[in-house]
Amino acid sequence: MDFLNLSVSTSWWELSKPPIDISTNGHLIDSLFTYTTVLAIFYFILVCIGLFGFSYLYSQKRSKTPYYTYGNKKKHLLITAFIGAAVFLSVDLNITRLSNNDLLDVFWKWPNPKTEKVLRVEVMAQQWMWSFRYAGPDDQFGTADDIVTNNDLRVPTNTKILFHLTSKDVIHSFFVPNVRLKVDTIPGRITRVWWDANIPGEYDIVCAEMCGTHHYMMKAKLTVYNEEDFKGWLSTSEKLALNTNNPDDKNLAWGWKWEY
Amino acid sequence: MSGGYNEIHPEPTTFISKYLISFDHKVIAKQFLWYGIFFLGVGGLMALLIRWTLAYPGQPFPVIGNLLFPHSAGIVPPDSYAMLFTMHGTIMIFYAITPILIGAFGNYCIPLMIGARDMAFPMLNMLSFWFAFLSGVVLLASLFLPLGAAAGGWTSYPTLSTMIGSPGAGQTLWCIAIFLFGVSSTMGAVNYVTTVITLRAPGMGYFDMPLTIWGLWLTAILNAIFVPVLGAGVILLTLDRVMGTTFFLAGASATSGSGDPVLFQHVFWIFGHPEVYILILPAWGIVSDLLSFFSRKPAFGAKATALAMTAVSVLSTIVYGHHMFTTQMSPLLTQSFMTLTMTISIPSAIFFANWLGTIWKGSIRFDSPMLFSLGVVFVFGLGGLTGLHLGTVTTDLYLHDTYFVVGHFHYTMAASVLLGGYAGIYFWFPKMFGRMMNETMAKIHFWGTMIPLNGIFFGMLMVGYGGMHRRIYNPFVYDSLKRLMPINEMITISAILMGAFQIIFVINFLWSLYKGKKAPNNPWNVGTLEWTIPSPPVHHNYDVIPVVKCGPHEFGNPNLKNGRDFQYQTEELVQGPA
Amino acid sequence: MKRNELQNNLAMTVVLISAAMLFVTLFMGYAVYRSSADVWPPMGVAKVSLWLPLLSTILISISSWYCYQVRLSVAKNDLAAAKGHLGLTTLLGVAFMLAQSGLWFSMKNSGVFVTSGIFASVMYGFTWIHAVHVVLGLFALGYLRWVLRTPSPYLLQKTINVEKFWHFLGVVWVVMFLGLFVL
Ligand code: HEA
Ligand code: HEA
Ligand code: CUA
Ligand SMILES: [Cu+2]
Repeated sequence: MDFLNLSVSTSWWELSKPPIDISTNGHLIDSLFTYTTVLAIFYFILVCIGLFGFSYLYSQKRSKTPYYTYGNKKKHLLITAFIGAAVFLSVDLNITRLSNNDLLDVFWKWPNPKTEKVLRVEVMAQQWMWSFRYAGPDDQFGTADDIVTNNDLRVPTNTKILFHLTSKDVIHSFFVPNVRLKVDTIPGRITRVWWDANIPGEYDIVCAEMCGTHHYMMKAKLTVYNEEDFKGWLSTSEKLALNTNNPDDKNLAWGWKWEY
Repeated sequence: MSGGYNEIHPEPTTFISKYLISFDHKVIAKQFLWYGIFFLGVGGLMALLIRWTLAYPGQPFPVIGNLLFPHSAGIVPPDSYAMLFTMHGTIMIFYAITPILIGAFGNYCIPLMIGARDMAFPMLNMLSFWFAFLSGVVLLASLFLPLGAAAGGWTSYPTLSTMIGSPGAGQTLWCIAIFLFGVSSTMGAVNYVTTVITLRAPGMGYFDMPLTIWGLWLTAILNAIFVPVLGAGVILLTLDRVMGTTFFLAGASATSGSGDPVLFQHVFWIFGHPEVYILILPAWGIVSDLLSFFSRKPAFGAKATALAMTAVSVLSTIVYGHHMFTTQMSPLLTQSFMTLTMTISIPSAIFFANWLGTIWKGSIRFDSPMLFSLGVVFVFGLGGLTGLHLGTVTTDLYLHDTYFVVGHFHYTMAASVLLGGYAGIYFWFPKMFGRMMNETMAKIHFWGTMIPLNGIFFGMLMVGYGGMHRRIYNPFVYDSLKRLMPINEMITISAILMGAFQIIFVINFLWSLYKGKKAPNNPWNVGTLEWTIPSPPVHHNYDVIPVVKCGPHEFGNPNLKNGRDFQYQTEELVQGPA
Repeated sequence: MKRNELQNNLAMTVVLISAAMLFVTLFMGYAVYRSSADVWPPMGVAKVSLWLPLLSTILISISSWYCYQVRLSVAKNDLAAAKGHLGLTTLLGVAFMLAQSGLWFSMKNSGVFVTSGIFASVMYGFTWIHAVHVVLGLFALGYLRWVLRTPSPYLLQKTINVEKFWHFLGVVWVVMFLGLFVL
C-alpha cells in the first residue's frame, strides 16, 4: 500500500494544498477559505470541548444525580441566544462581507478593453473539448482571421484576460484550479469570467460540470507566456490562421460578435 | 374520547392483509425499514465500486468484478461509472435514507408517540409504501437496460439529461421512478401532517410532543410543499425526452425556439435544498430526544430547539440559489442567496448549543443509541461548518463541484443522517420486534463506522480543497491530481472498512430478530407514550387512549419518590413540597 | 367540527397545496420564458385563437357551479337531485376534455406542433398536465357517484372534498386561460 510510505515522505496536509496560485487575485479566495476554516475550527473545538468534556465529566460513573433543569431559565436562554448571535456576528457576517467585497472590488469588476490592456477570448465548450477563439488582427470576432485553437489556451503574463463562454451541447464548467475560478458554460447563453496569470508555465484547464461519459477527459492545456513570447506566438498563429482558415469550415463557424 | 376518528381497526387475519397490503402503521414501518436497508446495501455497494475505481483506476474490482462487468474484465468502464454515482446518489437519498428516516420512523413513531391507534388514513399509508415499492422496481429495472441506467448525476441537469446528452430509456425511467416516489412521499406527508394535528392524545399540546415528532412533522410539511416542485420538473423533463418539447433545450441543440436549461436547476434546487433538510430533520429530532433520554435529564431548551428546527425549515425554502453560484445568476440574487444561506447557521447553532446543554450535568449512559447520537453531534458539526465555506460565493467559485462539496454533504447526510438512523434503529428495535439488539455488536458497529467514516469524508474534504473535481472517472488523467492519489487510496480503504462493519450491523439485526433476548416493555426507562405499552405493541396500540399529563423529557426530577428517575407522560408531574 | 371532518379537511387542504405547488412551478417557468423572450409568441408563431379555450373556460365554470349544487343537495340530503347535478357536472367535465382535444387539434392544424419550440411546448405541455388532473377529477366524480348510492354519515364530507378538488381544477384552468391564452 504505497499510500502509507508516501504519507511519510510528504505530509497529507502538504498534498491537499491547492495547486499554486498563478493569478493576482486567487489569494483572496485562499485567504477567505483559511479565515473561514480558522473560525470553523474555533467553534468546532468549542463543540468538541462540550461533547467530550461533558461526556467525560457527566458519565453515569462520575455524576450520579443529573441536574434537573429544562434549560429555559432566563440565563440559559441568554447563553443560547448569545451563542447564536456570536456565531452570526463572528462568522457569518464577516465571511459574507469579505466575500461580497471581493466580488464587487475584483471578480465582478469587468475589465474594459477600451481603457485597459485586456485580452479577449471566446470559449466554446462541447462534448468533450474546449475551443478558444482570439479576435485576430482585425480585432473582430467571428471573422475569417480569428485564431482558433482546441484544448490549447495561451495567454500572456500580467494581462487581464476576459472570457466570454458558451456551450454547443450540454452544460460544462470552465475551471482553472490555478486561478481558483470556475464558471459554467451554458448552451443558449453567454457567461463571463476574467482573470490574469503571472507565472509562465503549463497548467490544467478542467471541466467541472458533469457532461457525459468522457467528462473526466475534458481537459485543456493552459500555457502562460511572458509577454514577448506571447507576441511571438500570436503573430505566427495569426499568419497561420490567415493562410489555413477555411471560411466554410463548419467547425470554425462558431464565433459570435462580442457584445458589452 | 376516541371518536370515529380513532376507532380500533379489526385485526387482519390472512397473511396477505397482515404482512403485504397491511394497513397497520407498524407493519408498514417495518416494510419501509427492510426496503431502506436493502437499498442502503445496494447504494453502499455502488459506493465501494466508485471508491475502487477512484483509488485503483483500471484495476478489476475484486471478487464480484467479473460478474458485474464481464465485458471489461471486471474493470468499471467510464459510462458505468457515471451510472454508478448517479444511481448511488439517487438510491441513497430517495431509496435508503428517506424510507428509513421518514418511512420507517415516521410510520412507527408518530402514532405510537402521540398516543394514536393508527395513522389518520391507514389505506393511504399502505398505498404510500406500494408506490415507493413500484418506484424502486422501476429504478432497479433501469439498471438492466441495453443503454444502462440514468447517468447524468442525481441532479440530472439538462441538457445532459435530455435526448441530446442521454439517449436510451434509462433517464426516462429515472424520471418516472422519481415521480412515483414523489407521489408516495406526498401521500405520506398528507398522512403525517393530519395525524400529528388531529390524533394527539388528549392533553398533549404541540410542545408536549417528543422532538422526534417535531422533526418528522416539519419534514412532512416540507415534503408536501416541495416534492411537487420536483414533480413538475421531472414531468417537463420527461415531456422533453418523450414528446419532443423544448422546455430545457437551448442553443445550437435546440432546433427551434429555445427553452432554458438553467430553469431546471432552479426548479430542482427549489426542491433540492429543502430536501436535504427533509432528510436531516427527523435525525435532528431523534438526536435531540435521545440525548435527553440517555443523559437522564430534560432536553435543554426543548422549546427553543423545536422553534429553531422550525426556523431552519422556513429558511431552507429561500436559500436554494447557493447551489447555482457558478451559473452566474444576477449579482443581486447571488448576494441575497449568500446572505440568506448564512442566516441558517443561527438556528443551527442554537439547537446545537441546546444539544450540548442537554448532556451538560447529565448522568450519561453510553448505550448504543446514545453513542450514535453523540456521533451525530460530532459529524454534523463538521458537516455544517463546511457548509459555510460553500455558502460564501467567492470560495464556492473554487470549491463548487469539487470533492469538498462531496465531503460536505456526506458529512451531513451519509454521516449525520445515517448515524441518526442507526441511533433510531437501535433505540426502537426492542419496541418494534420485542427483542433487544446485541449491545456488544452494536458498540463494535459504532466505532467501526465512526472511525473509517471520518477517514472517508475528511479525506474527501482534503482532496476537494486540493482541487479534485467531482464525477470524474479517473483522476490520473490530470497531472495536478496525481499527488492526491495516496489520500484517495486512504479514503477507499476506509470505505471498505466502513462497509465491512455495516455487515456486522446486518448480522446483528437479523440475529436479534430471532435470537435476541426478550425486550421488556420499557428497556431504556423512558417516559414517552410508546414505552407504556407492551413490546411489540398489540395491533391497535392502545386499549384505552392515554391522557398526557407531562412532557416527554421528565428525568431526574428530585421530587420523584417512586424509585424511578423518570416519569411517564401519562403521570401528573410531581411537584416538590411548596 | 367533528374530529374526522377536521381530518378530512386538513388532508384535502394538504393535497390541494401540493397540487397547487406543481402548477405554481409551471407558471413560474412560464414567467421565466415569457420575460426572457423578446416577443411572445416567438417570431413566426401565430397566437392561438381564443374561441376553444374560451369555450373550455365556460364549460368548466358551469360544471363547477353544478358541482356546488351537488354539495347543496347532499346537505339537504336530497340524493336524487344530487345525482342529477353530479351527472351534469361530469357531463360538462367530459365536454371540457373534448374542447381541450379540439384545441390541441386546431393548434396542430394551424401548424403549431409539439416540437415547434418553446411556445408550443408551453401550450401543449401545460394543458396536457392540467388535462391529466381533470381526468383524475372525473374519476373522483365517478367515485362520488358510487358513494351516493346509499346514504351514510360521511356523504357530505366526501362530497365536499371532491367538490374542492373540482373547483381547484377550474381555478387552475382559468389562470391558465388568462395567463397562456389571453395575456
Ligand atoms: C442533510 C443534508 C444537508 C445539510 C444539513 C446541509 C447544510 C448546509 N449546507 Fe449543504 N448540501 C447538501 C446537504 C446538506 N447541507 C447536499 C446534498 C449538497 C450537494 C448537492 C449536490 O450538488 O450534489 C449540499 C451543497 C451545499 C452547497 C452548494 C455547494 C456547491 O455545489 O457549490 C452549499 C452552499 O452554500 C451548502 C451549504 C450548506 C449550509 C450553509 C448548511 C447549513 O445548514 C449548516 C448549518 C450548520 C452549522 C453552521 C453547524 C452547526 C453550528 C455550529 C457548530 C456553530 C457552533 C455552535 C456552538 C459553538 C454551540 N450545501
Ligand atoms: C445519504 C446519502 C449518501 C450516503 C449514505 C452515501 C454513502 C457513501 N458515499 Fe455517496 N453520494 C451521495 C449520497 C450518499 N453517499 C450523493 C447524493 C452523491 C452525489 C451523486 C452525484 O454526484 O450525482 C454521492 C456521491 C459519492 C461520491 C462521488 C462520486 C463522484 O462524484 O464521482 C463518492 C466517492 O467517493 C461517494 C462515496 C460514498 C461512500 C464511500 C459512502 C459510504 O458511507 C458507504 C458506506 C455504506 C456501505 C458500504 C453499505 C452499507 C451496508 C449495509 C447497510 C449492509 C448491507 C445490506 C445488505 C447487503 C442488504 N459518494
Ligand atoms: Cu464538460 Cu464536464
Ligand atoms: Cu443547499
